[in-house]
Amino acid sequence: MKSMSYEFTKGLVKNNPVFVQVLGMCPTLAVTTSVVNGLGMGMATSFVLVSAALIASIMKSLVPGEVRIPVYAVIIATFVTIADLVLRAFFPPLSVSLGPYVPLIVVNCIIMGRIEAFATRNGPLPSVVDALGMGAGFTLSLMVLGAVREIFGNGSIFGFDLFGPSFNPVLVMIMPAGAFLTLGVLMAIFNAVKESSKTVLISAEKPVEA
Amino acid sequence: MKKMLIVLTLVMALSGLVLAGTFAALTERIEINRERALQASLAALFAGADEPSFDQLDVADPTIYRGTDGAGDLLGYAVRVVASGYNGPISMLVGLTPELDEIVGLQVVENIETPGLGGRITEAGFRSQFAGLDPTRALRSVRNIEPDPSANQVQAISSATITTEAVVAGINQKTPDAIEAIRRAER
Repeated sequence: MKSMSYEFTKGLVKNNPVFVQVLGMCPTLAVTTSVVNGLGMGMATSFVLVSAALIASIMKSLVPGEVRIPVYAVIIATFVTIADLVLRAFFPPLSVSLGPYVPLIVVNCIIMGRIEAFATRNGPLPSVVDALGMGAGFTLSLMVLGAVREIFGNGSIFGFDLFGPSFNPVLVMIMPAGAFLTLGVLMAIFNAVKESSKTVLISAEKPVEA
Repeated sequence: MKKMLIVLTLVMALSGLVLAGTFAALTERIEINRERALQASLAALFAGADEPSFDQLDVADPTIYRGTDGAGDLLGYAVRVVASGYNGPISMLVGLTPELDEIVGLQVVENIETPGLGGRITEAGFRSQFAGLDPTRALRSVRNIEPDPSANQVQAISSATITTEAVVAGINQKTPDAIEAIRRAER
C-alpha cells in the first residue's frame, strides 16, 4: 500500500482532476468567472466527494455489484442536496452566483470516478485522504482559473479592485470563450512544468556515467 | 436478489430521512433569505425613493405590493408574476406607477434559466426595456428588428426566445388582472 501523503498529493499534481484527468469540465468552465465562485464550487464538490467516498468505502462489502451505481448515485445526490441547502441558508449570494451548477455536482464525473476507481477498493481512511487530495486539487485549479479570468476580465481579485478605473477589462475573459482560452493555456503550462520536473527527477536518479 | 432489494430500500430510506432532517433544520433560514431578496428587489424597483416600505394588498391572486416612501406618499405598486420559463418557474416583480398607466421596471427575483442565455433576463440591459411600457396593453417580444417601445415591443435575448416569450407572456397574463384588483382594493 502506498503512503497517505502519496494518496493526498497525487490529486494535487500527478493526477490533478482538472489539468491531468480533464474531469468535471462543466463546472470548471462555467463557474470560474471569479476566484470566489471557483472556491465555492471547489468546496461544495470536495464536501460531496469526501462524504460520498467515506460512505462508499464503508459500505463496499454490503452493496451488491449489480446495484452499486444506483446506490452511489443516491448517496451522491443526498450530499449534493445537503450542500445546496446549506449554501442557500448560509451563503445566499454565492448560492445565486453558482446557480444551477450546485445541483449539477451530482453528475460531476470526478465523484463517481473516485468512488469506482478508489473508494470501493480501499478502506475508509485512504479513501477520505484520496478524496481530500482530489477535492483540494479541483478547488485549487478552479481558483487559479477564476483568478486569471477575474484579473483580466474584471480587473479585480477576490472582488478587490486592482488597477483602478482607468483599466479596460478584457471582457472575453469572463465570457465562456475566455474559460476555454484560459483552461487551454493553463493546461499547457501545467503539463510543461510537470514534464520538465519529471525529466529532472529521472536524470537525478540515473547515476552519472563516467 | 433479495440482498439487492434490501440494500437499495435501506439506502433510499436513510437518505430520505437525512434530507428531511436537513431540510427541516434549514428551511426557516432559507425563507428569511428569500424574504430579504424579495425586499431588496422591491426597493430596487423604486430606486431613488426615500426609505421605501412595502405592504401586501389584500388580494388573493396575483400578489401585489403597495410601495410608500418615508413621507407616506404612494410610490406605486409591484405585481408578483411567476412565468414558466425554459428550465422552471421565473419569479418576477413588475413595478407600476401610482396611476397604473406605466411600467416603472422589472426585477427578476428567482430563476433557474440557462446561465449566459435565458439567465440574461436578470441583466439591466434586458430589464430596462420594460420601463415606460404601457401595462394596459399586451407586450410583445420581437426578433431581428429594432423594438418600438411605443408599440410595447421588447427585444428578445438571442438564443433565448423561449425564456423571453415566457417573461412577456407571464406579464401579459397577470398585469390586467392586477390593475383591476388594485383599482378595486384602493377604491
